[in-house]
Amino acid sequence: MRYDILICGIGGQGAISLGTILKLAAIRDGIGVVGAERRGGAQREGVVTSNVRYYPHNPNNTSAPISGLIPAGGADMMIAMEPLEALRQIRYLNESSVVIINNRPLMPVHVRIGDFSYPSLDEIYARIKEATPLVHIFDIDELSLAYFHSLRQVNTISLGLAYALGNLPVSKTAIIDTLTELLKNSKDAIDAFARGCETAKCS
Amino acid sequence: MKELARNAPGKMILAMGNDAIVRGGLEAGIGYFSTYPGTPASEIGEGYAALLDEFPHLHAEFSVNEHVAAHGALGASWAGVRAMTTMKHVGMNVAAEVLHFAAYTGVKAGLVVIIGSDPGATSSTSEQDDRWYSLHTHLPILEPSTIQEAKDFTVRAFEISERYNLPVILNAPSKLCHNIGSLILGALPKRFVGTGGGRFDRNPSRYINLFAGSVANHKKAMEHKEHLRADIPSLSLNQVFKGSGSTGFISSSVNFSYLKESLSLLDIDAPIMKLGITHPLNADEIAAFAGKLTRLFVVEDLEGFLEFQIKALLYEHNVLISIEGKNIFPPYGELDVDTITIALAKALEKPLPPSMERALTLEKKLTAGIPPRQGSFCIGCPHRATVYSIVKATDRSAIFAGDIGCYTLSSLPPFRAFDWVTCMNCGVGIGQGMRQVIGDEPIVAYVGDSTFFHSGIPGLINAVQQNADMVLVILDNKWVAMTGHQPSPTTESSPRGEKFSPVDLKLLLKSVGVRYVRTANPFNIKATISTIKDALCEKGGVRVIIAEAECALQNERRKKYEPSPYERYHQIEPDICQKCNECYVQLGCPAIRKSGEGDAFYYYIEEALCVNCGACRDLCPNTAISLVEIRRGKAAS
Repeated sequence: MRYDILICGIGGQGAISLGTILKLAAIRDGIGVVGAERRGGAQREGVVTSNVRYYPHNPNNTSAPISGLIPAGGADMMIAMEPLEALRQIRYLNESSVVIINNRPLMPVHVRIGDFSYPSLDEIYARIKEATPLVHIFDIDELSLAYFHSLRQVNTISLGLAYALGNLPVSKTAIIDTLTELLKNSKDAIDAFARGCETAKCS
Repeated sequence: MKELARNAPGKMILAMGNDAIVRGGLEAGIGYFSTYPGTPASEIGEGYAALLDEFPHLHAEFSVNEHVAAHGALGASWAGVRAMTTMKHVGMNVAAEVLHFAAYTGVKAGLVVIIGSDPGATSSTSEQDDRWYSLHTHLPILEPSTIQEAKDFTVRAFEISERYNLPVILNAPSKLCHNIGSLILGALPKRFVGTGGGRFDRNPSRYINLFAGSVANHKKAMEHKEHLRADIPSLSLNQVFKGSGSTGFISSSVNFSYLKESLSLLDIDAPIMKLGITHPLNADEIAAFAGKLTRLFVVEDLEGFLEFQIKALLYEHNVLISIEGKNIFPPYGELDVDTITIALAKALEKPLPPSMERALTLEKKLTAGIPPRQGSFCIGCPHRATVYSIVKATDRSAIFAGDIGCYTLSSLPPFRAFDWVTCMNCGVGIGQGMRQVIGDEPIVAYVGDSTFFHSGIPGLINAVQQNADMVLVILDNKWVAMTGHQPSPTTESSPRGEKFSPVDLKLLLKSVGVRYVRTANPFNIKATISTIKDALCEKGGVRVIIAEAECALQNERRKKYEPSPYERYHQIEPDICQKCNECYVQLGCPAIRKSGEGDAFYYYIEEALCVNCGACRDLCPNTAISLVEIRRGKAAS
């Protein structure tokens, strides 16, 4: 099945790593996957995006049948590590896109120096809800700090939320096996993934 | 990364476009690799550097610049060892001199030049299209469109290079280099030829390009290219996809995959010719495709390299149909599915797909006026501290001669302390020329360690010889940091403690005639400001300040291997803080945050992010920032 996820955030938040985990899980499940990354902002504070595009794997044609970029209005899911970044990428949403937002605003340099003001969170969320009603807002930083005493698990909690709230074609087993193989501290990551799943179900 | 080393043909792995190129080189049995790191192609060099244990025959190096890297690869090829050199698109300007001779001399073993191009300049100072170079270098160009082709075409490039006696260019844009997806592995060769396995056979008529010999080699290069051109239809690099109607499309690279998706969104079934080799072109093949059409669109990035060639050859073949491309697609910036869909919908008078129409309308309405988000220095970056000191010491009353590296972020807010940035070593180079014609205004030039060694030494020597009155700040962070921490000539040791042989920068400066050299620890802000002020007061000649501190990210990694017995953190005393904004706005460190509403706001340091560089503590005019040190219970053991 085809399923497109756009991950957005700020350099250093783990958006690229989250994309990698979602892609490695597809390889384990034998699902085709492709997706370009915008790393230009990978220095702290810059904009980072990762496209994750699943497609049915065809052993007779190994080249991806779709491009690395999600078209406007094409995302089945958006995972936004920061509210303003979710709004910035609104062009990828359609009326049935599922959106997960980390409710932790980070001030861009232009806001610090007073050139711009950061819109209120109510305003940001109201705008995103014009695109899709399926907007889920969590304080993922707070969850990570509360359970793991650091911000390191923000992206793995997001992974759990995404798994529970979307129709990801990859299996839970593939995600857990990927975390186990990829990360040194996989116990926390797997816990965080489970916390994300639970939080989504309770919300 | 180790998966790239496995001899497991048919296995599906996850790979970045750059990884696929690494694997392609291995499947082709390369023995020599050289690069000067540059986004988007940097990961190729890192890939080989990580695989040296698995492939001991392989020589892989981070060269001092692209010119040297290309020469090195040519040397290996002449000695019969398959060689690859990689660079970003602007690196081609530096390697161009070498590569203009490479078609004349030809190759012995395959030589493949990987160009990571950057339409949209998302991590570059220009978006030039290097494909145009091939009109005069005569080097063939392959353009993969998918991750799988990035590998497969790399292998093909070596075969073509050897068969036609020409180095081959493989052009990969950033959206392919940084595309990550499935890759099916091929087989690794049974035998590799590399270190110690080469042999140079003298051949003066090929390698000595002089007078009539050079003309003879020029003729041979043209013949090799024509030989390849004639064979193109049999190489199966180009593909025709059948469709209905008399409107057709020619495309290459990632734009082919965008085009296919656009046509599907617009519900258009049309013939498409996908070019895997974009120079030279075979006129018969193109004419056979275009001859059945009345309207042809060429879909490509930038200034229309394919359109230019196709128009000329179809005119010669008397195929006089409507050929469009740069009349509807912008000749600058990066194409994507949306841009192509919008342009084609307009040209073909089709409605936009409803989901795209809706999304674009919402975007226009809902994102107007939102704050942009630009990159900034990392937390604890020594460059942030150095630039802060430059701004303070000069009071902005100097010309800031910018250059390329992480410190290019000085051009952005809050500093805005760059007056120009173009190519490598534009700082000292342009600055020393300007010095000769302007009045008394001081010039402060920037250069990073790696950029300085790349091509800055001639500029500095010229400045010394011409007695240019200027201050040059060498921001020596010990690594090629922006591209992912490749070693630079001043690297002393890796975070794990592996020793390097660093160049003695001070000795080098002295030996080229710089009489005024000072060093500064950037985190000691007050001392650095006064060092810069002293240098500005000194008149005549080039004064060099080495702002020396390791890249914060590498320094953090080092801490893992050398744990401190102290737990350290910085804090802002809210009672002492005068909210003067020096740390939050002027230094702009992202670890310093603001909380609270209205006038009751306060600043604090986010402990989870701060790396204790101490710059804010040193610059605080109210001594409101302090360092707390606590001896760890067990950590010392």
